[in-house]
Amino acid sequence: MSMNKSSAPRVIEITDGASIPDPRDKNLISAWSLAFVGTILCTAYLCWNDPDAYLEALKSLPGGVLVTFEVTACAILLSLPIGLFTGLGRLSRNRIINLIASTYVEVIRGIPLLVQLFYIYYGLGRLFKVPAIFAAVIAMSVCYGAYMGEVFRSGISAISKGQVEAARSLGFDRRQTMMLVVLPQAWRTILPPVGNEFIAMLKDTSLVSILAVGDILRKGREFASVTFMYFETYTMIALVYLFITLILSRCVSLMEAKLAYYDHK
Amino acid sequence: MTTNNDIDTSTPETEGVDACMDCANPIIRIRDVFKFYGSLLALDNVNMDVLPGERVVIIGPSGSGKSTLLRSINKLEIIDRGTIIVDGYDLYDQKVNINTLRQELGMVFQSFNLFPHKTVLQNLTMAPVNLKKMPVKEAESMALELLAKVGIAEKAHVYPSKLSGGQQQRVAIARALAMNPKIMLFDEPTSALDPEMIGEVLDVMKNLALEGMTMVCVTHEMGFAREVSDRIVFMDNGKILEVGKPEHFFTAPEHPRLQRFLKQIL
Repeated sequence: MSMNKSSAPRVIEITDGASIPDPRDKNLISAWSLAFVGTILCTAYLCWNDPDAYLEALKSLPGGVLVTFEVTACAILLSLPIGLFTGLGRLSRNRIINLIASTYVEVIRGIPLLVQLFYIYYGLGRLFKVPAIFAAVIAMSVCYGAYMGEVFRSGISAISKGQVEAARSLGFDRRQTMMLVVLPQAWRTILPPVGNEFIAMLKDTSLVSILAVGDILRKGREFASVTFMYFETYTMIALVYLFITLILSRCVSLMEAKLAYYDHK
Repeated sequence: MTTNNDIDTSTPETEGVDACMDCANPIIRIRDVFKFYGSLLALDNVNMDVLPGERVVIIGPSGSGKSTLLRSINKLEIIDRGTIIVDGYDLYDQKVNINTLRQELGMVFQSFNLFPHKTVLQNLTMAPVNLKKMPVKEAESMALELLAKVGIAEKAHVYPSKLSGGQQQRVAIARALAMNPKIMLFDEPTSALDPEMIGEVLDVMKNLALEGMTMVCVTHEMGFAREVSDRIVFMDNGKILEVGKPEHFFTAPEHPRLQRFLKQIL
């Protein structure tokens, strides 16, 4: 923003905000490629330059990548339906359902994920013995389900009332209208913010390492505590996370482009 | 809500008339209907019948309740008092399945409301396939016939966003017809169209009228009302103020409010 000339019109710049590159925007594509190529080159250079430290650190991680993927995938699969039902509940005209959904969102949003993680791990542990990875997936799903509930709610309420009226006037009931007309359209509005949540989720799985789940971070820390190469290890951990999230964000933007099939332009 | 020049000061308290017909079984029977929006009386003791095969046009200034009345016929608006009976079924009877009844009532909206995520053909086949369990092949050939009838068969496989307003509205009419309804309701179908596209939509509606379809139409197209309708209903402030055959309606309007309304728009 330039305000030094009083005669110049005041321009308020609004940035995209979202971290997902828009495939139709060439600048953003090149930003993504730059980051992606940079990540690979940087990793390759470090491993070539100092294989004893960086390559060994990198070699300690693959097992963790698998666990991170597992936790992320399970949490995504679980949090999507939770989010959908929470969103629908928040829009429900039934007072009780609405109240339950809203309370869930308010409570979960107000508690840090790390605290929820401990809470569910030790809380469930009191009742029956659960593997840490199970508690981790539950905690992540419950937490992100609440966030996604808000995303679903705004996406669904963005569909015009006329669409619902047209479907109802043809004879579709409420459920059919939702499944055939509203959700397929809402999904387009929902996908970019949900994609952001996916990426945030993947990064937040690093928190589960604290429950002795062997994810990327955990594996790296184990390696570092033996070799004392903390800086090298965390560098590799950061690069691996970056590599994975960049791929994920690319997938989301490709899906977005695909969903735009019925657009005018 | 009301435009300023519509405010009636000369005759503040006018009695509404009813638009009932002397017929034992009208296809739509509207009796003593009241509808409130907060403290605003949108429908004020409305009585109206529509006979099978009849074409009724409802006119009136904006905010007069004509769209509300039309939308209450397929229960898109919930009335506060009165009864509405369509094809022998009371809309507010607990035993009546409104979704089944709505299949008999085709509705065309001012803003088209085509489903943007479906092709034109899918817009037409969606309801018959899902609700009437019609085989997809059969539904598609029927849909293509309907599209040919409204003159856009060549656009069957494009998405609605590629169509002009007039084309979209014709698709919307075909979509409603795909359920083979007994009654068609039109809610200002040409009001959102560019002037040069109004004709093509009205032509489709005229053809429909010639085929004997029962139609209730809210419109500002006086030429269409005059040419096609069997009866015209004039509404203002939620009341029906005058009912008549088109020939007498335009040449010898009785109610002073109608006289002024016609003077303004003709």
